[in-house]
Amino acid sequence: MIKRVDPKPLPETKLPELKQVGKPLRRVDALGKAVGATVYAADYSMPNMLHAKVLRSTRPSARIAKLDVAQARALPGVACILTGEDVRGAKLNTDLPGQTGREARSGSDAPVLALDVVRYVGEPIALVAAETVEIAEEAVRRIQIDYEDLPAVFDPATALEPGAPVLFEPDNEVSRYKIRKGDVEAGMAEADIVVEGTYKMPFVEHAYLEPDAGVAWVDEQGVINIRVCTQVVEHFRSIARALDVPQNKIRIRGTMVGGGFGSKEDITVEIFLAFLARETGRPVKLVYTREEAFSATSKRHPFTIKHTTGVKKNGRITALQVEMLADSGAYPYLTPYVLLYATGMAAGPYRIDNVQIDSVAAPTNQTFTSAFRGFGGPQAALGYEQQMDEIAKALDLDPFEVRRVNYLKTDDTTCTGQTVTSAVWSEECATRALHALGEPAPSTPTRKIGRGMASYFQSYGRITWFHDTSRAWVGVEQDGTVQLRCGVPDIGAGQSNSICQIAAEILGVPLERVTIYATDSAVTPLAGTSTATRQLYMSGNAVTKAATAVRDRLVARAAQHLGVEEATIDLGDSRVGVKGNPSQSIALKDLAHLCAAEGIELSELAQFNAPFNEGLDPETGQGDIWPDFTFGTAAVDVAVDTETGQIEILKCAACHDVGRAINPAAVHGQIAGGTHQGLGYAVMEDFILDEGQIKTPSFAEYLIPTAVDFPSTEVIILESGTGVGPFGAKGIGEPALTPAAPAVANAVADAIGLRINELPLTPKRILDALAGVSEEEGE
Amino acid sequence: MREIRLNVNGRAHELRVSANMTLLTALRDLGYTDVKNGCEIGECGACAVLLNRRVVNSCMVLAAQADGATVVTNAGLGTMKDPHPIQEAFADAGAVQCGFCTPGMVISTKALLDRNPDPTEEEIRDALSGNLCRCTGYGQIVSAVQLAAERLKRSISSPASPRCGDGHEPAPAEPLRVSGEVPRGGEGE
Amino acid sequence: MLPVFELLKPASLEEAIEMLSEHPDSMPISGGTNLVVDMRSGKLSPKTLIDISQLGELCCIHEREGILEIGAGVRIADFLEDPMIARDVPILAEMARSFANTLIRNRATVGGNLVNAAPCSDTAPALLVLDAEVDLQSMVGTRRMPLAEFLVGAFQTRRQANEILTGVRLPIPPKEVRTAFEKMGLRKISCMAKVDVAVSVHVGEDGGVTNARVAVGAASAAALRVVPAEDALVGSSLCAETIGRAANLAAEAAEPRAGSEYKRQVVRGMARRLLTSLAEGGRA
Repeated sequence: MIKRVDPKPLPETKLPELKQVGKPLRRVDALGKAVGATVYAADYSMPNMLHAKVLRSTRPSARIAKLDVAQARALPGVACILTGEDVRGAKLNTDLPGQTGREARSGSDAPVLALDVVRYVGEPIALVAAETVEIAEEAVRRIQIDYEDLPAVFDPATALEPGAPVLFEPDNEVSRYKIRKGDVEAGMAEADIVVEGTYKMPFVEHAYLEPDAGVAWVDEQGVINIRVCTQVVEHFRSIARALDVPQNKIRIRGTMVGGGFGSKEDITVEIFLAFLARETGRPVKLVYTREEAFSATSKRHPFTIKHTTGVKKNGRITALQVEMLADSGAYPYLTPYVLLYATGMAAGPYRIDNVQIDSVAAPTNQTFTSAFRGFGGPQAALGYEQQMDEIAKALDLDPFEVRRVNYLKTDDTTCTGQTVTSAVWSEECATRALHALGEPAPSTPTRKIGRGMASYFQSYGRITWFHDTSRAWVGVEQDGTVQLRCGVPDIGAGQSNSICQIAAEILGVPLERVTIYATDSAVTPLAGTSTATRQLYMSGNAVTKAATAVRDRLVARAAQHLGVEEATIDLGDSRVGVKGNPSQSIALKDLAHLCAAEGIELSELAQFNAPFNEGLDPETGQGDIWPDFTFGTAAVDVAVDTETGQIEILKCAACHDVGRAINPAAVHGQIAGGTHQGLGYAVMEDFILDEGQIKTPSFAEYLIPTAVDFPSTEVIILESGTGVGPFGAKGIGEPALTPAAPAVANAVADAIGLRINELPLTPKRILDALAGVSEEEGE
Repeated sequence: MREIRLNVNGRAHELRVSANMTLLTALRDLGYTDVKNGCEIGECGACAVLLNRRVVNSCMVLAAQADGATVVTNAGLGTMKDPHPIQEAFADAGAVQCGFCTPGMVISTKALLDRNPDPTEEEIRDALSGNLCRCTGYGQIVSAVQLAAERLKRSISSPASPRCGDGHEPAPAEPLRVSGEVPRGGEGE
Repeated sequence: MLPVFELLKPASLEEAIEMLSEHPDSMPISGGTNLVVDMRSGKLSPKTLIDISQLGELCCIHEREGILEIGAGVRIADFLEDPMIARDVPILAEMARSFANTLIRNRATVGGNLVNAAPCSDTAPALLVLDAEVDLQSMVGTRRMPLAEFLVGAFQTRRQANEILTGVRLPIPPKEVRTAFEKMGLRKISCMAKVDVAVSVHVGEDGGVTNARVAVGAASAAALRVVPAEDALVGSSLCAETIGRAANLAAEAAEPRAGSEYKRQVVRGMARRLLTSLAEGGRA
């Protein structure tokens, strides 16, 4: 078992004392949600509105031999039926060219509606809009469809074998990367031992509480308005392309999202609504059932990851070779990027000079896979962190000690040769997480206690060759209140609140005096996606830039007004004046009046650009991928019941360096929630397909953790102040999840003395593994 | 189709429902969109309401079965201007992230604290075991319930005006024979 | 959306039974926690539903001459609140505590759970160790049969289409009887990868077992009593060896579906632990 350790003392950091930032203030969206006033996507209705339903494939791989909508169309109350013929050529632009250096793969973009073939159960085939939901459902039932089954493939390894059915010409290789750093052969030769391990992980469902939904209508300017829960308002461009209309004729009004976790990063209902609204000229509403949210939206990529590691007796890694195989599902969607993330993070937060990584993703006739919190990072961590424990076991070293001698430090390079420039507090985080577990409980013959840890690193900010930007507008009203306009989608992590808190800090007003208008592609400055743990970094910096510009003008005018030096001016409590001298100050509202009368701009639109790079070397995979990384550790104590196979999580602790916590309660919530999702990933979540048919179609079969399953995570927040986000913040949204599942896997392996190489760790797998061991022992 | 009467958050409603309409659909059609549809099979609790003071999944109650009943939804407990202490506690304790589970959580909390004003953590978790949350990991929600319990105990000494769901809602027009009201031994013979 | 059906609201049990006879392809509905889900999935689509949720005749718990009578409409939540249950048959409260979640407990009824006869039914194993009988009423009268006889297989019972299960009755166990119920699964609340075990032992003054019941749920098509395990316990002193033997017999009796053979081990472990806790006088 991992030895007890004391927390490593933190390096000295002098973070400035702030008034609003750094406080666990009540979020601006919290009360509206708590009293049920917030209008989510499905809560909105309009006069004369139609209701839509989707006909979806029941076969995983088939030709549509016959599609006859005549009877459905004849049903009274049906306003419109659209098939693949009606939207011929309209695509979802899922496979962005250039990411692997290859040409765009012909046909691999998902069609809006299937035309000749269907490639997965749940693929959309036809749309119905009718006066009521019941009529729409009945119409869908009346559509006559005949399938002719085609050969299918259900696992990516088979898909890559010669002779396998090809989903998209020319072959089943959706994406491939290689990393070559140093000299792996030499490194292996240097090693004292070589450790091998293969780790598998399943499809996982996001299971956000709010099923995808939206309402669309055509307004008096002919603009198609789509009110939808989404992580991306910029989809208006893809939708415009699909409808063959100018981009300024599609308006996305994003709602408060009831959870996304990456699933709402893809286009979901909005494109169907756009077509139906245009076709009928009436408002149309589409609300997915939970079963549709399961079958028709993306999943986390299953991965099989093989590690071969050369190590010295003291634990130092001399060489690493990794092979990764990912399941892209029926359409690529964001697979090439997920694979890139997994590849770029495959070696973990460790200093390894000789690295060889080969990764490939292949399609199967199953639910398509795309973005899910961590985006390949959690899968990579399940590989490298389980491998670290196997190395410790092989060398008979303490699991933390093996990590400690290999941790990256600031100014070291990752496996792609990217230099880590911010603080790397892996050891500080690991020791604190482990220390928080306290003394382990004693094992009994039937209840084995195990302790496990996982250290990780996870990027924040998008791939830098996307040339990411974000914009925000900040303005001071004449009564001293503040308005923010920003395209940021709020998916529950406090995206909109954080930037309000930043504006409140910079302009010296209480948070209650900041109002934000957000998530409207026509009216609010575009802030990019709420994905890739990028909003605080990008929009936070954009708001900082905008608010600072306004602040500077206010300071200049106030200094003039008060007859003092600008450097002495401070803003706070809605006043502007000399720090520490309230008699030498002016109320912000009075200053705003003054500025307005003199034509001094009280608002600013600012754009923040992330670093712009140009991609990895195709042969060596060397180059910079991301703006920066977050580091941390999760540690878990488990009890494994050897009679029943039950796993009980006894205690869980997570420590992350978030750079700067803009709102500590929100950071706490992200870490607690992300860890919880990771615990579920480890022990109970398994989205099962059998011959392409979904065996876990609802919350009855697909289990996510409830309030009684796990204890609360002990959350430890560290602030190095070295992030590239506002006030030195890093990102935490995705990082929070990454280390949790491997920590559990390691704890279970510690408890029973053997490793189960596949998630989730169910009672069946535990008992079968224990039985396997006894069989061996009996021989 | 049949005519039914529902008292929702203190307001009397008369509506026509088909036999196969659930209480969830009826409530949302009436405009009570704070009651959420998360799964429609009783697994997630997003549709939780108080039905004659018992917390239930409204997706599994046929609207017609609720004829004559008193229903309280989250929006009936408080408003932006005058939030219920439970709602305020959720907002203050960081228990609200995406907020979609929150109405159901608040209703389950109300049902718990009405019965048990001083619950242990275990009792809180059990009371919320039918309300799924994907964002918070439940820790801050448990804290919110504890905060609400504390605040409610303090406010008993200075009672505010009666709130919907506190037993002050108007009595139903006719006495209800409600299932689950179990006469004690010997009665009803 | 649920399929189209007619909903009838009888004012009395008598009227409900009449309606059931008059309408072929009809089913009673109370809490609806299984029925609504099954109708939504298309598993069931009766033309008529008869709402028995408001019938007072079905909602009572009575004690009469040493027999506990539980109306079919009694909600699982009521088992947690009723002092008679807590005093006389605490195993039903134990079962109720692990039954689904709070929201479901407030609607699900004991009658509905038995009639649905899911392999993962929680009420069945608990009631089996209490030697429960069920009453089935129709236009021609009432049939009474042991629960073990009523449960035939997965989702299969001896209820005929024109019968309503009106109640469950069981002899109130003597004070010396110790009972225990446990449920385990992939998650604390679910029917996935789940196993239920219920046990009851009557320990005489000399410490010997005079009567025993062992029931297993969710590890076979229907919940079942394991008579061989019970026989092994009777006359014993509940020593570890006997308990081990009984636990093995319980495991052998389980008939899990293909792929779930591991459940036998779970049954063994749970039975051993529950019986051991009773031997230590742990549970009531």
